[in-house]
Amino acid sequence: MAKIELTDVSVTFTAHAQKRLSFKEYLVRGLFRRSANPAVRVRALEGINLTANDGDRIGVIGHNGAGKSTLLKTLAGVYPPTRGTRVVEGKVCSLFDITLGFEHEATGWENILYRSYLQGETPASIRGKMDEIVAFAELGEFINMPVRNYSAGMLMRLAFSIATAIEPEVLLIDEVLAVGDLAFLHKAKARMRELMKTARLMVMVAHDLDTIRAMCTKCIWMNHGQIAAEGDPNWIVDSYTAAVTAASEAALSAPEQAALGAPAQPQSAAA
Amino acid sequence: MFRHLSAVWTARHFLLALVKLDLRLRYRRSVLGVGWSLLHPIAMTIVFTVVFSQMFGDSNPVGYAAYALAGLAVWSFLRDAATAGSKAFLTNEAYIRQSPMPYSVYTLRTVLGQALHSSLALVVVVALLVIWKGDLAVFVGLGLALPGLILAVIAAWAVATIGAFVTSFFHDMAHLLEVGAQIGFFLTPIMYRRSLLDDRGLSWLVDLNPANVYLAVVRDPLLSGVPSAAGLVQLGNAYLVALVVTLALVALAGGVVSWLHKKVIFHL
Repeated sequence: MAKIELTDVSVTFTAHAQKRLSFKEYLVRGLFRRSANPAVRVRALEGINLTANDGDRIGVIGHNGAGKSTLLKTLAGVYPPTRGTRVVEGKVCSLFDITLGFEHEATGWENILYRSYLQGETPASIRGKMDEIVAFAELGEFINMPVRNYSAGMLMRLAFSIATAIEPEVLLIDEVLAVGDLAFLHKAKARMRELMKTARLMVMVAHDLDTIRAMCTKCIWMNHGQIAAEGDPNWIVDSYTAAVTAASEAALSAPEQAALGAPAQPQSAAA
Repeated sequence: MFRHLSAVWTARHFLLALVKLDLRLRYRRSVLGVGWSLLHPIAMTIVFTVVFSQMFGDSNPVGYAAYALAGLAVWSFLRDAATAGSKAFLTNEAYIRQSPMPYSVYTLRTVLGQALHSSLALVVVVALLVIWKGDLAVFVGLGLALPGLILAVIAAWAVATIGAFVTSFFHDMAHLLEVGAQIGFFLTPIMYRRSLLDDRGLSWLVDLNPANVYLAVVRDPLLSGVPSAAGLVQLGNAYLVALVVTLALVALAGGVVSWLHKKVIFHL
């Protein structure tokens, strides 16, 4: 039984406008004068309500900075909600930033171990999967070399093979289908489809709207950290496309107005 | 707190694999391997012995060398665990951004690596003592020092965790810690003996020094071997102090974790 339940979830944090705060600056500026490096409140998510159960395939769309990735990271437990409650049941597999977090001095083999342990595998459960991961990554002799010698594409292959080798109940995907060369891309797409079939619950962020139409049972349109609309994927994708087209046409005809445009038009910020 | 520790236990495979990697990388970097990494404490000990054994020691170079090396091993463990441990969230940021593992796993990675590394220097101390004294009483001392080592590791974990949280908010904290460690080295009886300060009425300086608490339960029993009755009472008192200090540090670290663990990711 896999389940996701977000109730009135908000994620807000403070960021510093110019650079990281240092202790020296904190003492000097904090005590003697007003800060020249003001803190800014960032509302990444606001009042999100989301419920999903076994069998749900949810697609998340929206402009850059709308809070799509923050939503996924909150679901994965990486970002703690500042308000509201988060309940996620089932073994979670998150596919985002997958090329980060390699131990560069260690070999491909060793990194497979570390990443698998990070995803909650044990030495007993990983033993049977090692050969399969190595075979899928197709790195040949490189698997015995430190990953600092890998090309970006090879690193991506290895990361993808590890991340998709476990059998998740809750699958969280953030734009990972940009992997390696063409041959590997086909293989990866097939693997993703299989993974999506076996996972009980899936939430994916994608800019490829056709994927959302084809794979999802439900779609969420995010706008400025809030859910703008949700429902049937075809309907949501259509209205999203219409809104984006209208916004960019408006921007072309009257750029000044569009720049100041209403926040209800999601593309105005990007235009 | 217990939920936190059980989450750390769940992450043990990940943790131990990385500790093993850290140690292997450390020792593989040169032909001399383990010997190379011991070069620094041993070279320091030789310098101390040549220069200071007449001044601070009881004109017994081997005894003084064992004293200095044991002190250096414990001190450099505490110092490195605190300074390197404080950077643990920054160096493990990629993992933190992907997995909801408890943050103290990353400081424990640093602390365990440093602990195993410093244990090597203590092995050299034991060998020195066996050669010098010619009996095996030193193994009794080793047995009495082991719980102290464990307390020191727990305390270092707590300090590193506190430091790592603070460093995530103020990145220049690591630099301040290094300056502090440099000063601490001279305020701690490592190259001189405690009696030197006691004779000048400065014993409060040592009593207030938290590093000395762990020297008293690791270095001192290791060097004295089979203790006398009075020595045993003194060691018991030292252990009591070490236990209280360790528990206080753990409580403080627990407080910092529950206060900041939901905020720190936004500051990395």
